[in-house]
Amino acid sequence: MSAGPSDNSALIDITDIRKVYEMGSTEVNALDGVSLHVRKGEYLAIMGPSGSGKSTLMNIVGCLDTPTSGSYKLRGTEIRERDDDELARIRNQEIGFIFQTFNLLPRADALHNVELPLIYAGRPAKERRERARGMLEMVGLGDRTHHRPNELSGGQRQRVAIARALVNGPSLVLADEPTGNLDSKTGLEIMALLDDISSRGNTVILVTHEEEVAERAHRIVRLRDGRIESDRSTRTAAPSPA
Amino acid sequence: MSPERPIRGDFWIALTENLKIAVRALRAHKLRTVLTVLGNVVAVMSVIAVVSIIDGLNTYVSEKILEQGLRVIYVAKFGLITDDDAWRLAAKRQDLTQFEAGALQDRMQLAGRVVAQAEANKSVRAGRTELRNVRVLGTTEGYQSVGKYETEEGRALEDSDISRRRSVCVIGSEVSEKLFPQVDPIGKSIRVAGHELLVVGTVVPRGNVLGQSQDNLVVVPLGQFEKMFGARRSLTILVSAIPGVDLERLSDEARVVLRSARHVPLGAPDDFAISTAETYMALYQTLTGGIFAGTIGLVAISLVIGGIVIMNIMLVAVTERTPEIGIRKAVGARRSDLLSQFLSEAVVLAFFGGILGVLCGIAFALLIRAVTPLPASIQPWSVAISLAVASSVGLFFGVYPATRAARLDPIVALRQE
Repeated sequence: MSAGPSDNSALIDITDIRKVYEMGSTEVNALDGVSLHVRKGEYLAIMGPSGSGKSTLMNIVGCLDTPTSGSYKLRGTEIRERDDDELARIRNQEIGFIFQTFNLLPRADALHNVELPLIYAGRPAKERRERARGMLEMVGLGDRTHHRPNELSGGQRQRVAIARALVNGPSLVLADEPTGNLDSKTGLEIMALLDDISSRGNTVILVTHEEEVAERAHRIVRLRDGRIESDRSTRTAAPSPA
Repeated sequence: MSPERPIRGDFWIALTENLKIAVRALRAHKLRTVLTVLGNVVAVMSVIAVVSIIDGLNTYVSEKILEQGLRVIYVAKFGLITDDDAWRLAAKRQDLTQFEAGALQDRMQLAGRVVAQAEANKSVRAGRTELRNVRVLGTTEGYQSVGKYETEEGRALEDSDISRRRSVCVIGSEVSEKLFPQVDPIGKSIRVAGHELLVVGTVVPRGNVLGQSQDNLVVVPLGQFEKMFGARRSLTILVSAIPGVDLERLSDEARVVLRSARHVPLGAPDDFAISTAETYMALYQTLTGGIFAGTIGLVAISLVIGGIVIMNIMLVAVTERTPEIGIRKAVGARRSDLLSQFLSEAVVLAFFGGILGVLCGIAFALLIRAVTPLPASIQPWSVAISLAVASSVGLFFGVYPATRAARLDPIVALRQE
């Protein structure tokens, strides 16, 4: 590891990134000069109306996409000029995704879904199964390892997805509207699980349009028209970065 | 982040995972899978079935034909003629007669027996029963040494029968059974072309060759044959070799003797033909080779069609599973991971078709063996080759769909529901 991260070191170091899409002849500035710094262990919510650029920012932070210009350093490593395979490796090692629609493999059971990142990390089968089973137990699904997604409730599916996101020990958990497809009671349970994950020292970034969901995070960043509109801490105790 | 690659799955982890994924995906669409691989099934089945049938034919024919007269050469006016022009030329040749047989008998050093024969298909009667299309064979002395004519009952034709052109005959088991059911044929008489012949013996059953009975036979002295059917026909002269002489040397000597006896000028082609059982085998094998080449053509067409169908279905699978591709990419699958995943699936699909084809081919060959006299047998090499070719079809036609899957943008793929 290059930067030898202490608790105060920057995990995400985004400086003036832009993302330009060409829609026919016109250019759309999805991100128009965004700078964002996130330290290890932070619990951050990104909010904004649709078209504000929050999905684009999410994709870039998650290394699914690269910015047109500007700098994005994850754990001190510049992401912008990475090729596809390097981005895949970074997603595999550093990032755990949680999606609104769960995005589980429909034909695979819960255990296999959780194993998936470990398969691409090249871990042997025995280790994969042990770690995946451990993760499922942690999210409270130790008795559902061989159920397929269609045999699980929405909340259970999202728990499987969370287990999958955490199984390879990522440095960053990205949750994109994690409660968007759940009823409010189940949504609360999932949020409680995310709070718990955050309290264990994981860095969690949440994208949501629900105020009460965002309020659970320690810091809220609001986007509008591809720019950061506000960046505030939800607790007086936690110091907000400059 | 460490700059070097992490411990990436060794090859076997990737392979076993890919195979599991492929089997799971194909089992999810059983009917579609079976329909997709029909081309491969037909191709592989054709190879297995045709190879086993041709091999069965070869075994059968070589057993049946070669056993008849392995140590004999045949000298005839017409040999193995496969085209019109050769036939027209051969038709101008002089008939082979007792003169040539005598020359061979007198001058050949390597000859065991020289036997002259003529044959015709005629009706044979005994009392009111008439048999059509019986092979009537006129022969000189020594016929038993150039073919399988062992005596079952009574006696064989003796030299004196032949030299005195007696009106006697020996008959094949089929003629015996049909003309004299439940009666001892020895001492009875039969009529061939208005001539009465005394039956002196029967020949041990010789079985069938290619469905044709070898026992539908009447053997008479050549002189008697010529009395019945006239002497103006070309003879076939059979020459057996003395021990230790191969048929090639025997043929060479016969050729030299006959050319000098018939005064064939130096450099002119032979005006007779010499063949052996092996000559017939060779012709036969060229023939089956042709059938085999035709099969290869059919197989190639089926494989191309099969491959295109597989490619199409794989393209459908890539479209259907775009979200899955997105998920895999999001959790860290590289392009090469998805490439090998979909390639594996195409190969497994094609291989599955190959296996089905092998099973159908074996079933077909067993059916042939059960309902025909051909000893059709499965050739392991044909199974191995056709499975390998069928799988490579999957590999080849899987490249394009797999490349499409590998190149999908994960964001676009994840957005599709």
